[in-house]
Amino acid sequence: MRSLNYVQRVSLDFTGTLFPHAICLGDADNDCLNELVVGDTSGKLLVYKNDDSKPWITRTCVGMLTCVAVGDVCNKGKNFVVAVGAEGWFHLFDLTAATASKSDSSSQHEFMSPDDQKPLFTQHIPANTKVIIISDIDGDGRSELVVGYTDRVVRAFRWEEPSDGSELGSGQLVLLKKWLLEGQVDSLSVNPGPEGLPELMVSQPGCGYAILLCSWTQQDSNSSGEDAPATPGSEGPSRDVVLHLTTGRIHNKNVSTHLIGSISKGSKEESYKCGLFALCTLDGTLKLMDSSEQLLWSVQVDHQLFALQKLDVTGDGREEVVACAWDGQTYIIDHNRTVVRFQFDENVNAFCAGQYTCKEGKNSPCLVYVSFNHKIYIYWKVQLERMESTNMLRVLEEKPEFASHLKALGVDTEDPAAVRALVANVLYKDSQT
Amino acid sequence: MLRESYPFAEDSFSRFPSQSNIYGLCQAGEQELLAATLKGKVLCFRYQELQHKIRPVAKEVQFTYIPVDAEIVSIDAFNKSPPKRGLVVGITFVKDSGDKATPFLNIYCDYEPGSEFNLESIAQSCLNLELQFTPFHLYHTEVQCDDGGRETVFLLSGHDQRIHLYKENASLHQFEEQPVERLFPELQQLPSNVLWLDMLSIAGGRRLSAFGCQNGCVGLALVNQTGPEVLQSWRFQFDSPISSVLLFPLSCQTEPNQPGGEQSVEMESYNLLVTSSIEMSVVYRDVQERGLSRSVCLSESDQWDAVLCALVIDLDFDGQKEVLLGTYGQELLCYKFQPAGRGRDEQFQLQWRRSFKSPLLSIIYLDLTGDGLRELAVLTLKGLHILQHSLTSTADLVLERLALRVSALSAGSELESAKAQDTEEKDAPAKTEESTAPTPPT
Repeated sequence: MRSLNYVQRVSLDFTGTLFPHAICLGDADNDCLNELVVGDTSGKLLVYKNDDSKPWITRTCVGMLTCVAVGDVCNKGKNFVVAVGAEGWFHLFDLTAATASKSDSSSQHEFMSPDDQKPLFTQHIPANTKVIIISDIDGDGRSELVVGYTDRVVRAFRWEEPSDGSELGSGQLVLLKKWLLEGQVDSLSVNPGPEGLPELMVSQPGCGYAILLCSWTQQDSNSSGEDAPATPGSEGPSRDVVLHLTTGRIHNKNVSTHLIGSISKGSKEESYKCGLFALCTLDGTLKLMDSSEQLLWSVQVDHQLFALQKLDVTGDGREEVVACAWDGQTYIIDHNRTVVRFQFDENVNAFCAGQYTCKEGKNSPCLVYVSFNHKIYIYWKVQLERMESTNMLRVLEEKPEFASHLKALGVDTEDPAAVRALVANVLYKDSQT
Repeated sequence: MLRESYPFAEDSFSRFPSQSNIYGLCQAGEQELLAATLKGKVLCFRYQELQHKIRPVAKEVQFTYIPVDAEIVSIDAFNKSPPKRGLVVGITFVKDSGDKATPFLNIYCDYEPGSEFNLESIAQSCLNLELQFTPFHLYHTEVQCDDGGRETVFLLSGHDQRIHLYKENASLHQFEEQPVERLFPELQQLPSNVLWLDMLSIAGGRRLSAFGCQNGCVGLALVNQTGPEVLQSWRFQFDSPISSVLLFPLSCQTEPNQPGGEQSVEMESYNLLVTSSIEMSVVYRDVQERGLSRSVCLSESDQWDAVLCALVIDLDFDGQKEVLLGTYGQELLCYKFQPAGRGRDEQFQLQWRRSFKSPLLSIIYLDLTGDGLRELAVLTLKGLHILQHSLTSTADLVLERLALRVSALSAGSELESAKAQDTEEKDAPAKTEESTAPTPPT
């Protein structure tokens, strides 16, 4: 297994503690460059920008923040920052204005009126939140907010505004549906189904997953009121939940499982149908599958994997699966099951991977580790030329002119020693001919 | 800006079970490295070809007669000078059995025809020599024998302020200690314990020999190999222990500012790089002529703690060598020589630097992947990093240079064909077509 070291990193100050899902990368201020958004257990929302070790923006929320997200939750064509607390307080922030006021008077931001610090909108939704995503789950082209709960419930909300109301504050979240699952929901994701429509997937213990059906699309949204399946207890798991258990060596049926979907296959057309998703478990199983339930590969490692992300490390448009263990061991695996390992030298509190603008004024693939000693480390130069070790002869062999040059120079292409000597001679002055 | 020109990408990292030291890495054979770790383990690193893929493999080699409580000090290996064949590995270690620490030198080599280069069998045939001194740097160099042949010998420096010579006794088929004065008269009466040695054969059957000592003394000697006879010797005192000395040739164009610089006279001179633990690293220029009189400092080289290792290689393929320094402050520094220009003295300029996760102990540049392109192996306190040149850009460079050669060749053949047009009338145009067609880059 190829293993390597990343070195170029920046460390950010972070004194609090956080829940594993209270961290995300996204374009919070709509400048096309990504920021790091972190929420801590005391209700502080921190936004980091570039390689500055101090937060760019700090906001205070109500309660313990369990999950944060960046996305166009209001369907207004711009990103908002969403922070949700365990007690059920939903906070919506618009940080686009913050950029403007910052650039106006960068020294005076400390004296901003308290009104500017306040969230744009707050609403109380059911408590015990655990994980959220902002994504289009029913294929109507508009984003929904999906919230996973510690009590095995998943709820989908939509931002609705009165048609005449132009102000943002007039809108609110409306519950679309509630699903009840058998096991803990550790991650939520959206993956294109075999027909190309998005499917909402949640992870289930024991390397399983469930697809949650959006029944309002069939019922034509006749009643999207509270608690559509009114008596879930008696009904059992509703038929809107399609549970899939993956086969293989699962030691523990209750092992915590994570999932990530919509893993890019490189070309746009391919990614729309039959999306790829990955699963990982705390006992070290990693799987890559597509939405027709076909297993692409499975990897067993002896580290406790607690976070699963996707990241295009090689820059070829195909996203690699990135899994991180509590002890800092990180696996990057491509679609052909080529593994690259990286050991982060500390225990990891939370992990995420994605595009972030750190040093060079543009987004680059980054790995983000939250340590237990008040630091967040961002590895900002993680791009690799290729996943596999290779040598230059293989790179040269792919180029047609190489063979013709060799022929012209009278070197036998089938004789590796001769080719090697020629390459060495071309590159190094002191090498023997 | 500095980082932009850093030409490497890390291909692999092998974590070691225990730490190593500055004497802990050596090349063994063409495409293999041996790394010794403190707790008596020796790892062999190479790239293995499997199912048309190559992958890095670090495997422990069980060298015999290294007790479990041994702590390895230094390791070195060489191929015997022709006409003899075979790989020789030397390992020094200290066996600490509680009351008294005993140092040893183990020399491994196999005389069985067919297995002279087989590391597994070499590791089983050991010559165990007990030492009367604590060993430091184990070094090898080629010497001229009385009969005119050449032979490679081990030189081992120790805490007894002496350097010891181990040479193969051809009739006994084994190595033995021989007086160092007979072959290396310049290595007598040393001022202190030698921490690092380096030798370089130069034109006219002479050699340059340099050593750096614990007390900060650097010695340099120009020796006539026949005799041998010390022609000239120099000493210089630094303020701190010398971590390495390195002799290297450097060619530079005399007048780089003139148009057509390619054609100007190339001056090749020998230089000595000295790295010390607290002072700036220094290059002494033109040592065979001027001794230690003309020094050029490597600015900022003292900024990242002690410099522990150094290497001089051409890593940008321009024919001129660069100086690499590895520091305890976890930085790899690259300096490029700038010849004297308008109103400016010649200098070594810091080109780039790269951070590592732990202190750098040793660096070697060799072709591990078997493609003619060499890789940089960096031994750090935690393990072995293999840095590979960016393959895409280097491949482009190779193609570019091959195209130049092809066009030079076809130009030559055109001339020839013009001379003897009757015979090569058909061949020459075909050749040019072949070579010019693929030149436009795809």
